[in-house]
Amino acid sequence: MLELRGVRVVYGPGAPPALDDVTLQVGAGECVAIVGPSGGGKTTLLRSINGSVPIVAGTIRVDGVDISTLRGGALRRMRTQLAVIAQQHDLVDRLLVYQNVMAGALGRWSTLRALRFLIAPTSAEIAEAREALGGVGIAEKLRERTSDLSGGQQQRVAIARALVQKPTAILADEPIASVDPQLGEQIVALLCSVARSRNIALICSLHQPDVARRNFDRVVALDGGRIA
Amino acid sequence: MSSAVFPPDLSPAYLRALTVPVAQTIGMAAAGMLVAFAAGIPLAVVIGTRAPGHRLLGTVLASLRAIPDLTLAILAVVLVGLGPGAGVAALALFYTAMIGRVYGSLFLAADAAPLEALRATGASRISLAAFGLIPLTLPDILTFGTFAFECAMRASIIVGAVGGGGIGTELIGALNALDYHRALTLVIVLVALVAGVDGLGMLVRRDPRLALILVPAAAIALWFDWPQIFAFRHALHTFAGMFPPQLRATQIASLPLLIAQTLLIALGGTLIGAVLAAPISLIAARGLAPLPVVLVVRRVLDVARSIPEIVFGLILVVSAGIGPLSGAIALGLHSAGVLGKLYAETFENVPAAPIASLAATGARPLAIAAFGFIPLALGPNVVHTLFRLEWNVRAATVVGLIGAGGIGQALFEAQQLFFYKEMLAYVLVTWGLVALSDWFGERLRIHMGWHFIAG
Ligand SMILES: Nc1ncnc2c1ncn2[C@@H]1O[C@H](COP(=O)(O)OP(=O)(O)OP(=O)(O)O)[C@@H](O)[C@H]1O
Ligand SMILES: [Mg+2]
Repeated sequence: MLELRGVRVVYGPGAPPALDDVTLQVGAGECVAIVGPSGGGKTTLLRSINGSVPIVAGTIRVDGVDISTLRGGALRRMRTQLAVIAQQHDLVDRLLVYQNVMAGALGRWSTLRALRFLIAPTSAEIAEAREALGGVGIAEKLRERTSDLSGGQQQRVAIARALVQKPTAILADEPIASVDPQLGEQIVALLCSVARSRNIALICSLHQPDVARRNFDRVVALDGGRIA
Repeated sequence: MSSAVFPPDLSPAYLRALTVPVAQTIGMAAAGMLVAFAAGIPLAVVIGTRAPGHRLLGTVLASLRAIPDLTLAILAVVLVGLGPGAGVAALALFYTAMIGRVYGSLFLAADAAPLEALRATGASRISLAAFGLIPLTLPDILTFGTFAFECAMRASIIVGAVGGGGIGTELIGALNALDYHRALTLVIVLVALVAGVDGLGMLVRRDPRLALILVPAAAIALWFDWPQIFAFRHALHTFAGMFPPQLRATQIASLPLLIAQTLLIALGGTLIGAVLAAPISLIAARGLAPLPVVLVVRRVLDVARSIPEIVFGLILVVSAGIGPLSGAIALGLHSAGVLGKLYAETFENVPAAPIASLAATGARPLAIAAFGFIPLALGPNVVHTLFRLEWNVRAATVVGLIGAGGIGQALFEAQQLFFYKEMLAYVLVTWGLVALSDWFGERLRIHMGWHFIAG
């Protein structure tokens, strides 16, 4: 349930807009791929949706709420609705796998609960982590050290973390840029299938138009900050 | 003179009498560090997550750190009264600033991508620290934490020397009573304590949970020293009596001389340290000297490192008399221990490939040293030496109090005579001097393109 209308982003005075009049709607359970040349504005688009990049014109609504009106705690609560998956290296590799997975719950947990979890996780919490890991096919890695996992497995952990977040939408910025093409396609397919089955809106930037066409409901091309 | 010092007094009665001061010294260090970690880590999180006001906080911590620990201890003794409470207060303040600042910079340098991902989940700052900042920087945090604790143990003895209690106070007592046998015993105890902390540090780096065994010790020490720390009314009253800081005209006129003396002690000490360390480090580096030699020399350097400047100073006062030269030698001996180790490690870390290709030309050892080792090791060693110089400016204000001269001596004399307004003025001058030398050192390193985190 994302709605962008006439969104414009300018990084500095005199710079050309990185996003220009972008209008886009993504429904629950819908999977949209963003493709386009380097510098086209894919990262900027994804970052503007979770409020990391300020917009200078237009509106972005998440579940009907205009995110540009949110500040501080309200923005933080909104972000819990938007799971982010990055290219790579966005796990804390010294933590155990289940700890990284449950980091997805940090937004809804109190700080005290978060600290207690690190020291003494309950069996319900472990079960939740196992369930999420099962969803991406690596339940058996639950108690391993994250740094011992392969690159593709780590990307699955990142997806599991996103699932634990129980988000309205997942924003994935080139999630397969650092794994080999075959594995990449598997991960994209997995991402789309979990989004559909859990009714999550998915926006995913990609460099491979063919992978995008094969797996996504819709493919949007961004060039020079405009939807082509 | 040697028979006046040797053998150390190891009589059972004396050793038994030492248990309380030893426990006090360990307690002060542990309690000071407990407070420092408890207060410093949250401050570091504020800096590391760039919370509002983090810049101001960083500046405040940096400037607090510029007051030498002994100067803080003198202030604390005046404010809190004699005893371990003063020592704990001084150590806690100094090391809170140190932990806050250094951990803050470690957090700022942590891998950005995982943190960005955690932030995107809507995690609070504390969760961000627990799930991201701390695990991401754990090895550095532990290494620096142990280093800081080692420093605190030394400092705990130092603050004892101005009336903070523990074996520092014992040492001053023994020296005043001209009982050098006991003084030597105390120096040996001190070396053993620092070695103990070092060993504990190695274990903690292997299993961080071991650090928890210190918590009870620290808590007990805090419990005993608590009432004194919070003798607030007395402290406030005394503090008010320090204002406004002032110096008489003749004292102001002599300030440049005092500052020059302090700087000369620092410079001389660094020079002595470097000159001693250069040849020693060659036989302390694995690969340059036979292993048994290396191990023995390293031990000697460890001992030199674990004896604080002021303790060397106290020993020298006995044998060489009071004065700036004694101060510089005291700094030099401690610096030789530190620099010898650092130089040796630099030599060990010199990349093997260029040396191997030099050796392949059939070059003789001396030529390999001249064309390979020395040029490759020069950069880091210059940085180490400059850092030591910076540190020695601080230390030079400290050895002043045993009569080495300079600003430290003036400060101590003012305190002894209860001239608190003058004392505060000298504290401020010391602060400014050290802050300026820190700032200058930092500029210089940036200018030379060397970025290191300063302890
Ligand atoms: N932080 C920034 N400051 C200034 N300009 C930026 C910043 N980030 C991106 N830009 C500019 O905005 C435009 C869009 O960049 P963006 O990173 O969104 O592209 P992209 O489609 O993600 O590219 P890539 O495929 O290489 O990741 C580019 O011209 C880029 O130079
Ligand atoms: Mg990008």
